[in-house]
Amino acid sequence: MTTTEAVPRTAGTASEISRAHTLKQVLQVQSFQILLVLLVIFLAFSALAPEVFPTWGNVRQIIQNVSILGVLGIGMTFVIVTSGIDLSVGSNLVFSGVVAAKVMQAMGGSGWGTAVVGILVAVGCGLGWGLLNGVLIAKAKVPPLIVTLGTLGGALGLAQVITGGVDIREVPAVLQDTIGYGNVPGTTLPTISLLAIVLILIFGTVLHRTRFGLYTFAVGSNEESARRVGVKVDRQLISIYVLSGGLAGVAGILSLSQYGTTAIAGQSATNLNVIAAVVIGGTSLFGGVGTIFGTVVGLFIPAVLQNGFVIVGIQPFWQQVAVGAVLVVAVYVDQRRRAAAARGHAAKADGKRKLFGRRSR
Amino acid sequence: MTTIPVLEARGLTRSFGNVRALDGVDFDVNAGEVVALIGDNGAGKSTLVKALSGNLALDSGKILFAGGEVELGSPSEASRLGIETVYQDLALAPHLNAAQNMFLGREIAKPGFQGRLGFMDNKTMRAKSREAFDELGATVRSLSDPVGSMSGGQKQAIAIARAVAWAKGVIFLDEPTAALGVVQTRNVLETIRRVRDKGVGVVFISHSMPHVIDVADRVQVLRLGRRVATYEAKKTSVEELVGAMTGALDGAHS
Amino acid sequence: MKLTPKVTLLAAGVLAATSLTACAGGTASAGSGGATQPKLTFIQGVAGDEFYVSMQCGIDAAAKAAGATVNTQGPAKFDPTLQKPIVDSVVASQPDAILIAPTDVAAMQAPLKAAAAAGIKVVLVDTTVEDPSFAASAIASDNKGGGLEAFKAIKNLSPSGGKVLVISTDPGVSTADARVAGFEDGAKADSSFEYLGVQYSHNDPAEAAKLVSAALAKDPDIVGVFAANTFAAEGTATGIRQAGKQDQVKIVGFDAGPAQVKQLKDGVVQALIAQEPASIGTQGVDQAIKAINGESTQKEIQTGFKQITAENISGDGAQYVYKSSC
Repeated sequence: MTTTEAVPRTAGTASEISRAHTLKQVLQVQSFQILLVLLVIFLAFSALAPEVFPTWGNVRQIIQNVSILGVLGIGMTFVIVTSGIDLSVGSNLVFSGVVAAKVMQAMGGSGWGTAVVGILVAVGCGLGWGLLNGVLIAKAKVPPLIVTLGTLGGALGLAQVITGGVDIREVPAVLQDTIGYGNVPGTTLPTISLLAIVLILIFGTVLHRTRFGLYTFAVGSNEESARRVGVKVDRQLISIYVLSGGLAGVAGILSLSQYGTTAIAGQSATNLNVIAAVVIGGTSLFGGVGTIFGTVVGLFIPAVLQNGFVIVGIQPFWQQVAVGAVLVVAVYVDQRRRAAAARGHAAKADGKRKLFGRRSR
Repeated sequence: MTTIPVLEARGLTRSFGNVRALDGVDFDVNAGEVVALIGDNGAGKSTLVKALSGNLALDSGKILFAGGEVELGSPSEASRLGIETVYQDLALAPHLNAAQNMFLGREIAKPGFQGRLGFMDNKTMRAKSREAFDELGATVRSLSDPVGSMSGGQKQAIAIARAVAWAKGVIFLDEPTAALGVVQTRNVLETIRRVRDKGVGVVFISHSMPHVIDVADRVQVLRLGRRVATYEAKKTSVEELVGAMTGALDGAHS
Repeated sequence: MKLTPKVTLLAAGVLAATSLTACAGGTASAGSGGATQPKLTFIQGVAGDEFYVSMQCGIDAAAKAAGATVNTQGPAKFDPTLQKPIVDSVVASQPDAILIAPTDVAAMQAPLKAAAAAGIKVVLVDTTVEDPSFAASAIASDNKGGGLEAFKAIKNLSPSGGKVLVISTDPGVSTADARVAGFEDGAKADSSFEYLGVQYSHNDPAEAAKLVSAALAKDPDIVGVFAANTFAAEGTATGIRQAGKQDQVKIVGFDAGPAQVKQLKDGVVQALIAQEPASIGTQGVDQAIKAINGESTQKEIQTGFKQITAENISGDGAQYVYKSSC
C-alpha cells in the first residue's frame, strides 16, 4: 500500500483518495475499457450467429490471423510509447521475407537446416532496417515519421529490385507445415499463435517490469528529463527501433511460412492496421502511456469485427467504417483523459467520487 | 578562512553569437553553506547554473570541485560528483510516478540473476522514496499516480526531494519558490536549511529578496555576465542587493 | 461529467454492434431462408472494383434464378494478407459453395484447400491458385486469347502493318504475362508486323510515357501499342502526344471499366479489349450449383473477349462495359 502518513504542516485533503485504488484504477485504464468493448462486440455477434461465431474453430482462426500482426504490435507499442512511429514494419517484413526466401532458395532443401538459416537471415534483415531507423532518428534527429516513411519505400523498393517484382514461392515445407499451418502438438492451437503469445509475454514483461521498459516510458514522457538524469536516450531509441525491426523480421518469416510466398504486393495496410491496434489499445500517440495487453486487445477488435461482419454477411465497406469509428473514439477518449489530467487531478478525482457515490446509493 | 570551496568557478566565459552571456564570471560555494545567486533577467544566472551542472560547454575558464579542476561534459558527470540541479521547468517525467521519477537513471536492481535481466526492486525504491519525502516533510499523495496529474507544489516537492536525495556536494535550486503558495514556500526554505545542515552546499537562485535574506548565508550578485558583488546575508539589506543588481551602487562599492 | 470516457467507449461499442444488425438486412442477400436454398459466398479480389462488381452482378442474377443466396465479401486491396482472414471467416460460416478470385496463387492455396476439405465447394473465378485440383471448377478469361484479340484490334486499326510494342505493368503478373504472350504470338505470326517486345511501366504513367518516348526515338515508325492497363495507356498516350504522332500510333487498352471507357471516348485509346466478368460469374454459379447437387462439373472454363471501339461503344459494345453497380 502506498498511503501517506499524516504529514504535519500541510492540509491533508487528498491523502485518503489513494486508498480505493485497485478497482477504480483498473476501470480507468483504457485497455480494460477496450476489453469491455471487445466483449460487447463478441457477445453481439454470438447472439447474431450463435451456431457459427462463438465456436472454438472460428475463434481459433481469428487468433491465427491476428498472430503476425501481434508480433509487429509488440515493437510498435514500444515505439509509440516513446512518441515515435514506425511506418516501415510492413515493408521491412516483406524485405526480410524476400531475402530469407532468396537465401533458402539458393540453399535448396526443405528441412530445418535451411529453415533455420532463413529464420536467422530474416531476423538479421529486420534488425538491420531497425538499426537504420534508430540511428537516423536518434543521432541524425530526423523525425520518425519521415525516417520510417523513407525506409518503408526503401525496403519495399529493394525487395522488388531483388526479386524483379516476381514473388518467390519456394518456401521450405517444414516452415509451412509447422509454423505456417501446424498446431501445437496435442492441441488445436496454431503454432504461429503460440510463438506470438510467447513473444508477447516476454516483451510485455520487458516493457512493464524492467529498467529497459521504464526508460522507454521515460523517453516518451519527457525526453529532456530522461537525458538530464543520465538515461542514455539515444541508445534507448535506437534499441527500440532495432527491436521493432527485429520483430518485423520475425514476422517476415512467419508470413513466409503462413502464405508460402513473399507476397511483395501484400502487407499494404499492415503498418496502419498495427498502428491502429496500438492506439485503440490505449497507447498514446503522444508517448509515455501504453500497454502490450491493450495492443493485443486492440488487434482483436478489428479482427473480430471483420470476422463477425463476414459471417453475418454485411458489405465489406461497413467493416472499415466500424473499425475507423472505434479508432477515432479511442483517440477521443485518450484526448479527454489528457485534458482532464491537465485541468488538475483533484477536480477529476472529486468528480469521479461523486459519480461512484451516486451509483452506490 | 582557509576552507576550500566545494565548487568554484574562475573566469568562465561563454558567448552566444555576439552576446556574452558569461563574461569572466567567478563563483564559489562552500560545503554546508547556502549561497544565493541573484541578478536581473539576463544577468547570466541560468547560464552559470547550466555550466556548473554539466549542461553547457564553456569558451574558457576553470571549474574546481573540492579544489581540483574538473570537466563537466554532461549532466551525468556532474551527478557523479554529487552535483544536482532542480530546474525551473522541474524536469520530471509526467507519466511516471513519484518513486519512478525519484530513481530514474539510478534504479535499484533486484538482487541476483533477475537484476541482471533488468528487473527492478520497486518495493525498496518506493520505501526509500517515501523516506525521502517524509524527511523533507513533503506531501506526496501517492507514489503510484503519475506526477503529471499532481499539483505544482507536489511536483516541486518531488523534484527537490530527488535532488536532495542524490546531492552529496552541491545542489542548485533555480527559482524553487516561484510557483508556490505561502505554506509550500516555507517548506522549501526549511528544506534548504536542512540540506545545508547535512553539509551540502546549496545554491539558491531567486528574485525574492526577502527569501534570499531569510535563508542565505552569502549572496553573490551577477550583472552582465560577471559577479559584481558578494555580501554576508546577515549584514545586507534588500535595498543594497537591488542596488547591486541594477548597477545603481556602482562606484559606491568596489 | 455525465459522458465519461468509459461510458462513451462502451456506447460506441454497443452502437457498432447494433448498427450491424441494422444494415444486415439491406446490404446483403444472405438470410436464413429455406433450408434447401443453397448458400453461396463470393469473395472478390478487391472490393468495389468494377470488374468484380460486374462479376457480382452476373453471380447475383444467376443465383436468383437458381434460388440461391449470395453473401459478397472482399478485401479493401488486392492483397492476400487481407484476403486470407476473410476466407477463413467465410469458411467458419459454412456456406455450401465459395466463388473466389484468389489474390495470390501460393498464399491462397492452403486456406482454400482447407475450405474444400471442410466440405465447401470451391469455384475459382478470374484468378487461380498453384494447384487448383481441389476446386470444383476454375473459370477465367482466356488471357492469351485476349492478347491475341488486342493484336487483332491493332491490325484492324492499322491494316497495312508495321512495328508494334507492348507496355505492361510488372513482370510476374500471370494474367498480364499471358496477354503479352498472346499478343506476341499473333504479331510474330503475321509477317506484315514487327514485334518490338515488352516494356514494364510499374503502374506509373510517367514511366510509361518515358518508355514510349524512348521507343519512338528509336523506332519512329511504330504503328501500334498494346497498353496492358489503364496507367500504361495514359502514359503511352502522353508519350505519343509528346512525339506528335497521335495520328500514326494506335493504342489498344485492356479492360472496360469507366476509366478505360472514358479514355476510349476521349480518343486516348482507339480500342479496348473487354473481358466478360458477368459471364464468368454466371458460369461460376452454374458450376457451384452443380457441385452442390453432386453433378459433374467442368474443371476449367475459359471465357471470351469483346473488342470495343468508338464505333460500337454506343451499340452492341455497350453491354460489355464494366458496371459500378448492378
